[in-house]
Amino acid sequence: MLLMGEVRTGLLQNSGEIPESLCQAVLGLLSGERVRVSRRPIMYAVSPDQLTGVDCRLASASRARVRGVGTVLSRASVTGGRVLQGSSHIRVVRAGSDHRLSWSHYLARPGVVEVFGKVRVPDLVEGFAESGAWNDCLDLGSVSERFMDAVQGSPLLDRKAPFKSARTRLRWVAVSAEREPGHEPGHEPGHEPGQEGPGIRFVLGRDRVRTLRLVLPGGLTPGVVDFCEDLALHDWLLTTLQVIFERAGVGTATRAEVTARLAPAVDHLLHLWMPAARLDDEFTPFWERLERRPGFSRQWLSLVARVRDQIAVNTLALLREAGGW
Amino acid sequence: MTPAQAVFGEVEAERRVASAPLSHVSIELGHLYMEDFQAGPDRLREQFRQVAPWAETMRRSWQARVPGGRARVSTCFLIDDYFSRFSTPAELVPAVLEAAAECDLTIDYLARESACAETDGVKLARLVEDRLVTDPPAGTNGSRPPVTETGWLCNGARSPYGGAVQAMESARAWEPPAQNAKRRHSIFVDVELWDSDSRGRTWSCPFLAAVWQLLRLGLIRNDGELPVRPVPGGPPFPSDWEELPAIVQLNPAAAPFSAYSTMSVLSSRFLPVELAVRTILSQVFVDAEVLRQVAGRSAGEGVPLPDELVDRISYVFLGA
Repeated sequence: MLLMGEVRTGLLQNSGEIPESLCQAVLGLLSGERVRVSRRPIMYAVSPDQLTGVDCRLASASRARVRGVGTVLSRASVTGGRVLQGSSHIRVVRAGSDHRLSWSHYLARPGVVEVFGKVRVPDLVEGFAESGAWNDCLDLGSVSERFMDAVQGSPLLDRKAPFKSARTRLRWVAVSAEREPGHEPGHEPGHEPGQEGPGIRFVLGRDRVRTLRLVLPGGLTPGVVDFCEDLALHDWLLTTLQVIFERAGVGTATRAEVTARLAPAVDHLLHLWMPAARLDDEFTPFWERLERRPGFSRQWLSLVARVRDQIAVNTLALLREAGGW
Repeated sequence: MTPAQAVFGEVEAERRVASAPLSHVSIELGHLYMEDFQAGPDRLREQFRQVAPWAETMRRSWQARVPGGRARVSTCFLIDDYFSRFSTPAELVPAVLEAAAECDLTIDYLARESACAETDGVKLARLVEDRLVTDPPAGTNGSRPPVTETGWLCNGARSPYGGAVQAMESARAWEPPAQNAKRRHSIFVDVELWDSDSRGRTWSCPFLAAVWQLLRLGLIRNDGELPVRPVPGGPPFPSDWEELPAIVQLNPAAAPFSAYSTMSVLSSRFLPVELAVRTILSQVFVDAEVLRQVAGRSAGEGVPLPDELVDRISYVFLGA
């Protein structure tokens, strides 16, 4: 029926970026399973998949009681030896029975949550994207957060982050533009995702919460998780660089102070911008859409230019003070 | 110029998972503990005499199911060298083989129970413990870590314990535990996975038996590799259990050790152990790629398997 997930993104608590071998060690959350590492075009290491069992309500816009049982699929990843992400998602399907089955049934379907009774997809989409986790509803963010914490808690990290930054949350939900097989036309008038064309809706919310709604042209492929993680990563980079620039006190602080406050961005962030580096081709159009509006790379390049200009101006000032010219 | 296709791959970024050779069924002919050994050779002979017809029935049923009757059936026998060490392979193994032969049974593979805990430096029991995904009671929404009692695993919500009741408070009334997948009434099972003392951790019999079932189903991998491969061997057998390979292939013509399904012929005193084993196995997350491999191959042979691995395990329980 639909896929939903939540990605949390933050700075790895270590003074410098960590090398590949250390990435493998801190992400090795499961014995007997290798951490996968990709080096081009940027170092990216991802933990083995982890499962968490859930049996709870799913948020719905109509506040209908929707019960889901199954497993959440999670993974942690480190990009550029510097940015840590915890990502969890589920595939929601209708249960074939009216009662909870033995746990082995759900474990045979990793990452699937089965919902009981009559469920309307748009109701779940709106509920999850808008309200997220109410008190007792499915809380994918906390699951993601725990896997991040497990990595941050590694004794191999020195816990001396070079600058302060906050974690961002990206809550996403994806449906397919294709009709489900066996779907009766007119069954859910007006709101069926099959009536919409492919599209993307990205909303910056309060408290660093972002929501992303996707209507995919084809089926619900696993590549959508990579896309959402990639988007979350770049949104975090942009958010974090913005905060660093705001705090630098351009115009009020001394030039030396401004440079010192901007230096961590140069040391740790500027080289990490690589949108759509590892994505399936089918997701390129979504990135292109986001590049047009709101224009992620445009804003990033503009910020990077400002950081560099500030540093250049300061260098010139220092040279002048030193009587160089 | 026509657009060129570029293919780029990175070895470290891909997962490779070895596949296990698989029979149709693995039949466990027996499980020998010290008490059985101490009861003398007649006990073993009696056991095999009871097992033989059931093993034959299983073999025939698979022959009828597989096109051309070419069923791959392997047999195995497990000796406990984990909870107690007794006798020596040189003395014991020939006696077991002889008793089996008297009942027209061939033991294809002989395994040591301690191999289920650790073998060739691979901590199999730990590997399986890491893959436990606990059965969540209703109301588990992911906001908190799963409720676990260290070293225990259950199939529901435990009865809340009162803890130290303050003198002035009235003791809380007892509340029952509940099975998660209950049908009106609960059968609550709580299994001890291990205990520990100054010498370290000792895995429980059901936990090792769960590892044993996973090995026989060919579902365990360590770094994508098969953790244990049977080693051909035969008389003379060593005088020390440590020198005996984890799994010895006694019959050179045997079908593969691991199989799509398993059957164990056991004394009914093992019934609680096997309930515990199923409670554990219902909460083990087997690598999705391994499950796909096995499902693909069995479907290709025209013998579709149940999705749930506990449904691939069958038993015959015999009276005392």
